[in-house]
Order: sequence, then C-alpha cells, then structure tokens
Amino acid sequence: MDFNLSEEQETLQEMACDFIRERWPADCAREALDKRPAVIGADVWQEILEMGWLGVAAGEDVGGIGGDVLTAAVLSQEAGRGLLPGPFQSSLIAALAVDRSGNDAIRSELVPQLIDGSLRATVAIEEPGGRYGPDAIAAKVRADADGWRLTGSKLLVPDADSAALLIVGAQTPDGLGWVRVRADAQGVEIRKMERMDAQSCSEVVFENAPVEGDALLGDERSLREAYDIWTVLLAADLLGSAEASLELTRRYAIERVQFGRPIGTFQAVSHRLANHLVDVEIGRSLLYGACLALDEKRDNAAPLVSAAKAWLSDAAVAAAESALQIHGGVGFTWEYDVHLHMRRSRCNAAILGDADYHRDRVADYMDESWVPPVKA
Amino acid sequence: MDLTFSEEDEAYRAELRQWLSDNIGGGGGGGGESANAMMKRAESSDESKNDPLAGARAWPRTLHDAGYVGLAWPKAYGGQDASFTQQVICADEMARVRTPPLINTIGLSIIGPTLVQHGTEEQKKRFLPRILRADDLWCQGFSEPEAGSDLASLRCRAEIDGDEFVVNGQKVWTSLAPISDWIFMLVRTDPDAPKREGISYLLADMKTPGITVRPLRNAAGGSHFSEVFFDNVRVPREHLVGELNGGWQIARSSLDHERSGLSGVVALEETLGRLWRMASNLDRGDHKAVEEPSTRRALAQHWIEIEGLRHLGFRTLSNQIAGKPPGAGSSVGKLFASETRNQLTRTALRVEGPLAPIAKRSPHVVDRGRWHAAYFDALAHSIGGGTSEVMRNVIAEKVLELPRPAED
Ligand SMILES: Cc1cc2nc3c(=O)[nH]c(=O)nc-3n(C[C@H](O)[C@H](O)[C@H](O)COP(=O)(O)OP(=O)(O)OC[C@H]3O[C@@H](n4cnc5c(N)ncnc54)[C@H](O)[C@@H]3O)c2cc1C
Repeated sequence: MDFNLSEEQETLQEMACDFIRERWPADCAREALDKRPAVIGADVWQEILEMGWLGVAAGEDVGGIGGDVLTAAVLSQEAGRGLLPGPFQSSLIAALAVDRSGNDAIRSELVPQLIDGSLRATVAIEEPGGRYGPDAIAAKVRADADGWRLTGSKLLVPDADSAALLIVGAQTPDGLGWVRVRADAQGVEIRKMERMDAQSCSEVVFENAPVEGDALLGDERSLREAYDIWTVLLAADLLGSAEASLELTRRYAIERVQFGRPIGTFQAVSHRLANHLVDVEIGRSLLYGACLALDEKRDNAAPLVSAAKAWLSDAAVAAAESALQIHGGVGFTWEYDVHLHMRRSRCNAAILGDADYHRDRVADYMDESWVPPVKA
Repeated sequence: MDLTFSEEDEAYRAELRQWLSDNIGGGGGGGGESANAMMKRAESSDESKNDPLAGARAWPRTLHDAGYVGLAWPKAYGGQDASFTQQVICADEMARVRTPPLINTIGLSIIGPTLVQHGTEEQKKRFLPRILRADDLWCQGFSEPEAGSDLASLRCRAEIDGDEFVVNGQKVWTSLAPISDWIFMLVRTDPDAPKREGISYLLADMKTPGITVRPLRNAAGGSHFSEVFFDNVRVPREHLVGELNGGWQIARSSLDHERSGLSGVVALEETLGRLWRMASNLDRGDHKAVEEPSTRRALAQHWIEIEGLRHLGFRTLSNQIAGKPPGAGSSVGKLFASETRNQLTRTALRVEGPLAPIAKRSPHVVDRGRWHAAYFDALAHSIGGGTSEVMRNVIAEKVLELPRPAED
C-alpha cells in the first residue's frame, strides 16, 4: 500500500517545476496574450525534447522511459502550474495515443520520432455540434478507388498550425477509431481559433482528405483509452492551475495588511482558502486514483477519469475566481498573474468534456456497472 | 504506487472476512440497536437484576473473544498489538458488512487509547480490559455551557482535599451519559494559570454521590446527550490521568486519535447506493426521479466526492504506514466527510420532492423515514467533535500557515 508519488516522480516534478519557472516565466504567458499564439520558443522546446518529457510514459522499446500515466500527469500538472503552452501537451498525448494504439508496425515507426520531436503530431477529437466525447464523433472515412478518404470537421485541435501529422478520431469502414492524416495533405484546411489564454488551437476541416496507410491507426478501444488519458492529463493541468492560484492567494493573504492585520486573519478569507485547499487535496487524490486505474486497466478507470476532470474543472476555476477576489484591485490588473491562471483553467475546464459532461459519464457508469456495498 | 497489501495482511483480511460471515449472518448478537433504542431501554427498565444492556454488550464481547477489538492496544491489557495496516483492514472489513454499532465506542476510540498512552500502570490494568469487554461504558465530559469550540475556557473546577479531588460544575452535550459507568473529564485545577495550563484530566465513577444526569431531548427527537452536574463530587487522586494541570495536552492527543477515513467511506457509499435505489423507484409522472438530469448529476457528484474521500484516505494511510505524519489528510478528511454527508442527505430530501415532508409513521413515508434521521445525523456531525468552522480554522493555520487571528 503506497498511494503517493514515487521518489523518481517527485524528483521529476521538482525539476519540471524549476525548469518551467526559469525558462517560461509567467511574463511569457502574459506577453503571448498580445502576440498570439502562446508557443514554447524553439530553444526551450529543444531542451524539453532533450529531457525526454514526451517519452516519459511511452514504452522503452520505442525510445520512451516506460513510465506510467501518472508520470505524464505529473508533467502536465507542472505545465499547468507554470502556464507552459503548446505544443507540449498535444505532443505528449499524440505520442501516447500512438504508443497505445495497438498497431505495432506504426508504433515502432512513429513513436521514436514523436518523442524526439522530429515528427510533430496532434490529436483531433471534438467536433462542431456542441456535444463532447468519442460518442459525438461524426467525421467519416470512406473507402474509394484511391484508398481511404476523410470528410468532417474538428474543433479546438491544439497546435494544429504547427503539426505535420494529425491523429483523428473518425467513423471508418472498420468502426470508430483513429486515422492519420498529413496536415499538408490535399483537402485539409486548418483555420485558427482563438483561445482565451492564447494557446494555439484550430478548426480543421477535412474534405475527402487522404488517410495515411489507408487503415486504422487504432481501434475504438484505443481511441477511448487515449481520450481518457488525454482527459486525465488536462485534469492534471487543472490541478497545477488550482495549486498555483491557491498559492498566489495564500501568500497575498499573509502579506496584505488592512485594518491593521493581515487579511488572512479574516475568516471570510481564510475559510475560503481552506475550502480551496480541501478541493485541491480531493482533486489530487482523484487524479492519482484515475491514473492508477488507467495504468492497471481497471473497470472503473473511465468514471474515475471523469471524476477527476469534473472535480478539477470546478475546483481550478473556483480557486482562480477566489484568487481574483481576494487580491482585490491588483487582482484585476494585467500585471498580476491571477488572470493568467483564470484564463488557462477556464479553457481547460471546457475542453474534452466540461464538468457536467463528465458527471453524466459517471451517472451512466452508476446506472450500468456500479455495485454499491449493501448492508449485511 | 500500488494499492495492494502484503500476503500476510491479505491472509488476515480473508480470515476476518470468514469470521464476519460466520458471526453476523444471524444478526450480530442483538447488538444492532441504535444508541437511542439502548437508552430508551435502559431508562424504561425497572430495577430488576437483569442487565438491560446485556444484549448490547454481547456483540463487543464476541468481537473481543475473537481478537477484533483493541487492535492497537498492548496484549498485556487485553489488546492485540496488531499492526497499523491490520487496524485499517479490520475497520474497513467491519464497515463493508456494516457490523452492528458498538456500545463501547467512546471507550474504544477515545479514553482507551488515551489511557494506553498516558495512563498509570494501575489505571491501564483496571480500566482497559473492562473497556474492551464493555463491562464499563464511558462518556466524555469535555464541553460545558460556556466552553464549546473554545474548550480551554472550561470552568468546571476540582480542588484537592487530602487524597481526593472535589469537583463542582457542569458538563453538557455528554453523549450516552445515563448508561455510562464512568466519565472522563477536563476540570480546572488552577484558576490562576493561563487557561490551557490549569486544566487536568480526571476519571470519575458515575455512581459517585453528587453527580446528577439530566437527559436533553435533541433536535431529532431522541435523547442522545445530557447535562451532567457535579456537586462536591469526590474523586480519588489516583483517577488523575497524567500530570496535575497537564490535562490540555492529553486532551489534544485524544482529539487526534483519529481513525483512517476509509471506514467512513464505505458507509457513505452504502448511503449513496440507497439513495440511487430510492431515486430509481420514485415516480415523477411518466418517469423515475433517477432519469432527471439534475438528479443524475447530483448523484454522480456524490460518487465523485466519495471516491475523492476514498483516495484521500489511501494517501493518509500510505503516510501512516510509512511512519510519516498523516499530512493534510486528517483535518481535510474530517471536514470533507461531514460536508459530503450533509450534501448527500440534502440531495435525498430534494429527490423525495413532494414526499420530503412526510414523517415516519405515515404510510406515504419514503424509505421508512430514514432520510429524515440521516439528515439530522449529518447536521450533528458537522458540530460534534469540532465544528466545520473550527476545522477550517485548523486547516488555515496548520496547513495553509495563515496568520492566527488575535485571541481575546
Ligand atoms: C450530537 C452531539 C454529541 C456531542 N457529544 C459530546 C460529548 O459526548 N462530550 C462532549 O464533551 N461534547 C459533546 N458534544 C459537544 C460538541 O463538541 C460541541 O457542541 C462543539 O465543540 C461546539 O461547541 P458549542 O456547541 O459550544 O458551539 P460554539 O463553540 O458556541 O459554536 C457556535 C457556532 O460558532 C462557531 N464558532 C465558534 N468558534 C469559532 C471560531 N473560532 N471561528 C469560527 N466560528 C466559530 C461554531 O462553528 C458554531 O457554528 C456533542 C455535540 C453534538 C452536536
């Protein structure tokens, strides 16, 4: 029984935290709001690739470190805390999606390139129409004389503007699954969308676009698994945001004096922060639980992932809102970091399923498979 | 990271599970009574020689004979010297099958551990085995009319007179006082010292002349707690626990005798299961309550909260097994568990809708009125044992390290 981060994970976490603070200080995120989109500079990106961050959870046989989902989540958490933008997370999930696609040939060909950065890929799931998740995927692949062709539209695709390869969830002749499409292929149009936190995201429209290899990259199971892994990485990012908002506010509540005493002595302030601390600790616990369940491929992995995402979506936004309120006037200034965390958490809370979508997923699980303990 | 236990611990679990299924299939030896029912029976019993609580004592005795109470206590006083993990497994398994409540819970969970840690050899020998077998039932005399959250301002005083203390004053909210044989209490022994330094920890026999118990009816209608008055009550000096005027530290440590949050989680999950069943059966015109999005989302949110609590419990437990302090988990767990319980019962009454007002004896009542009782019970939990506001103060000061508001 050991339900804490391992020593290696703790070390990685500290290193990542220090690295991001030094190489991507909050001012970078602030400036990017004017100079959109927010993107990691080439030199910092190179260092991240050299540290092997994209391969922490990929298999050793394909150049990864063989870690688990939790190790990847630890990095996402630090990205959230340090406001690190793309293409970090989209590259991480692209590598993981291919690593776990079950398609050995493509896995051993692509994952090494995805990890060392020589191939930039991103993942596209969500579509127009206002519904979330794999079940709302309508993009369709049909087979014609020249091979497989993809038609459909994807929204909020992260870092599509700089990706060479798109990994796309679609209905195919072989069922729901993943296909690969080159970003520069005929029939692919990438249109910029603007995120509140200036991270890159695009609408991608496919019009009879050729599918690489004329085959599935991964089946429905692998699509759903990758969706869950991506969701849990976003939950980790949200945890990092929530912790950052809480820590900013905690420090401010100690420093700021009004009525002759630190504002942290007012219970209207301290109890609000205590509630956020509780929310953060519950969120961290749910996140660990979801990662472990994914790694152990347990039956309740999907509802635990949804639990973490729903909880942390609410918790991170609430912590950011309290941060703004408790900072008073300066909290509403451009120069304070409060709004940066607010922007990021607001975006991530609404991506890959908002809290209500994930509560619905939990309710469906309760309906179908949950077995509560019964009194003897 | 892993959530598995050692083979030895799993064997312990399997043996316990078997024992439980052999021993509570038939209804747990009549111990399954609520505290209220026990009290009623105790009050209404005539002074016959028969012990009115014999039934309620049977279950803890059965457990003791099998070695499943006093796990953490030394063997010398009837305990088991069991490992921390085994204590957790035991609490978990008992919760899982919802073993009957233990009439000697206060003794087992508060005064027993306090005596193990701070009692004299004499006190341990005399009291611990009798706590384990429910021969003695104990109540806790901490709160007073003027001293609740601010417990250290308590006034009930004890003066030394030869080999005895003479106690005068009042305690209040004393749970289970009428059926208790002994009371452990905090008294002021030095009125001139700073308030935390003039308090002592005493044990008193409830039959001592000068003690009067006056049961109070609680908001839920039961009589779970009482006022206890002390009028020149003489307590032998050997019933002092720890040093004279050293009672505050001891009381603090007994407030810290927390259990792993895991057993509470199972009970919450069972409650949520009942709530789901209730919502699945309740008609709302052409559909069932459970089909409504607002209900589904509320119940899903409770599932999420309970999983959060369970996994927080795993973290606390891992720290304790590794010999580290429990961390943020304990105060966070207490606060979040009582808040979750409150929300859960509130949701239940909301789901009942137009039937929510209907009380126990009506044929229209939902689930035999259990949700009204659960609702009151949940509300009491965010007061007893440290109010939720006090827990937030603790988190603010101890975890967030915010400055302490000036006192007085
Ligand atoms: C069902 C039940 C059983 C109990 N059993 C026992 C028992 O067996 N033995 C025993 O000794 N006691 C028992 N108690 C008493 C319990 O410990 C006290 O009720 C509790 O500590 C609160 O004290 P109080 O009632 O005096 O409320 P107060 O302390 O007067 O509190 C009133 C309100 O003010 C708030 N408040 C107080 N101080 C602060 C502060 N610093 N910051 C913010 N808010 C504050 C509280 O949160 C509360 O909402 C029991 C209580 C209940 C409800």
